[in-house]
Amino acid sequence: MIENRPWLTFTSHATLLLGIALVALPVWMALVASTHPASAFGVGHIPLWFGDAGAATWGAVLFDKAGNGVDVPVWFMMLNSLIMALGITFGKIAISLLSAYAIVFFRFPLRGFCFWIIFMTLMLPVEVRIVPTFEVVANLGLLNSYTGLTLPLIASATATFLFRQCFLSIPGELVEAARMDGAGPWRFFFDILLPLSRTNIAALFVILFIYGWNQYLWPLLITTDDAYYTLVMSIKRMLSVTDGDIAWNQIMATTLLAMLPPVAVVIGMQQLFVKGLVDSEK
Amino acid sequence: MTDVILEKVGKTYPNGFHAIPSVDLSIEEGEFIVLVGPSGCGKSTLLRMVAGLESISTGELRIRGERMNDKEPADRDIAMVFQNYALYPHMTVYNNMAYGLKNRGMAKELIAEKVTDVATMLGLTELLQRKPRQLSGGQRQRVAMGRAMVRDPKVFLFDEPLSNLDAKLRVQMRVEIRQLQRKLGTTTLYVTHDQVEAMTLADRLVVLNKGKAEQIGTPMDLYNKPATPFVAAFIGSPSMNLLGANLTEQGIKVSDALTLPLSHRHRGSIVWGIRPEHLAVSDEQNADFALRIQAVESLGAETLIHGKIDTASGDGEPMVVRLSGPHLPDINSVMWLTAPAQHWHLFDAMTQQRL
Repeated sequence: MIENRPWLTFTSHATLLLGIALVALPVWMALVASTHPASAFGVGHIPLWFGDAGAATWGAVLFDKAGNGVDVPVWFMMLNSLIMALGITFGKIAISLLSAYAIVFFRFPLRGFCFWIIFMTLMLPVEVRIVPTFEVVANLGLLNSYTGLTLPLIASATATFLFRQCFLSIPGELVEAARMDGAGPWRFFFDILLPLSRTNIAALFVILFIYGWNQYLWPLLITTDDAYYTLVMSIKRMLSVTDGDIAWNQIMATTLLAMLPPVAVVIGMQQLFVKGLVDSEK
Repeated sequence: MTDVILEKVGKTYPNGFHAIPSVDLSIEEGEFIVLVGPSGCGKSTLLRMVAGLESISTGELRIRGERMNDKEPADRDIAMVFQNYALYPHMTVYNNMAYGLKNRGMAKELIAEKVTDVATMLGLTELLQRKPRQLSGGQRQRVAMGRAMVRDPKVFLFDEPLSNLDAKLRVQMRVEIRQLQRKLGTTTLYVTHDQVEAMTLADRLVVLNKGKAEQIGTPMDLYNKPATPFVAAFIGSPSMNLLGANLTEQGIKVSDALTLPLSHRHRGSIVWGIRPEHLAVSDEQNADFALRIQAVESLGAETLIHGKIDTASGDGEPMVVRLSGPHLPDINSVMWLTAPAQHWHLFDAMTQQRL
């Protein structure tokens, strides 16, 4: 719009600034709180500017054991979280790419039935099937293992459905051209299908990574060994202290650290993500 | 040497639809065959059966004497150009052309050599590193042809390759395809619904109607001696004037206003046809009939006059006349015409066969 209305400009900018403040303020408070001693947070007023305990808090958070019954340092839990999140993401993408490939491009008996079975699992997220899933994982001896952390979360109807739609939009002539060019099913998958769904994979990666990173209930349930604790669930554990003060400054620092990887993924993948939305190659 | 043989080839879909009852066709080496017909006549299905993209229900397909029915498309030594080009959008022009050769395990240097040769022939050298979306329609068309040519196949298959181009480019590509095919001498099967394209490209035409080959022959054969009214109407633009008539002792009685003298042993109802370009203007005494003019299309080099055979009641049969040069007769005026006997086409109304 080519309009010159100062009030409109002012109002819209003010609204946007207010929105930013609203979103950023808690993050700012967390950052500030992490530079004050633990007691500063509980005395009634909330500090809005940096204190002088920053170095000590961050040093303790990064390198000491997290405490409160958590025997590993925060960086180690970050690593666990990362392994779990990446495992879930790659597992989900691989499985759903393959199942969508089978459903769209191959004629096999009960094809439609298979699709609906996959689709129905949308109604059964981990929280619903948590007791039986726990039982299965426990019986398989997968408690306290990376496999146990990732595997039950990998099956994904949403991603399968998304890839199915993406594959359906690939023109039939392209498939036929590849057949004439002598591309077998695997060649077609790797040479044509994967490059064409590149942007969809990127978009899903962002969404699934955040989903995996933020897992709370499942890791809480199946890990009892500190070596497999993930970051997000440990924040809760750091809060439930029976004696002594809650180390708010350390919790805030840990929270900020927990936010970093998802933010990094979003920023890193943003370009590909937007590119996928703007120019369609098909 | 016979290159491609279709022997009683038929297609029935699983739902029982009989797309193609049975087609026989043998194609000589280096011949340019055009399959032509209205949409839904089965021409694309037939082509796709030769390509191996559709299974052959009955009959046999042989290329160079080898039975191809159960072979994969890639193993038939054929190459196809698709209507929407079907270029791989994420690959450069070079990779698009090289992909089929790569899959065959050809050496890199040899691929580079072949692609460069074909690119030079088609004037694509400058574009080799571009992606398909950076190309114009005509250039994409050329890349699609290049992709077929690098394979150096026994048979080229074209599935309405020009239908996505604008009129001017279509004419240009048409000429180019013909020249390339002559130069390469590759047997070609070409599908189109455009009769002009069919006439100009083909060594021999196959006119398909409802999955049946109505007539197979050279363009001039089909123009001069159409076997059925369908072929007569399909070949030539504007279409042949086809009128229901009765063959009697007096001759052909087309309508009350038009009886043409002819002695023929056949009796009964027939279809009488004459091409618009064969009707001639004459004076009133020598004329066979009068045409009440309804519309005039002036194209400069020729004029198309649409009208009805003039009768008292005004419900005569419609006719089209094609005259060379500009003419500007008045609408609703009467024009006297002769229909020279050597240009008549007669078909049995029952069997639809030429008499």
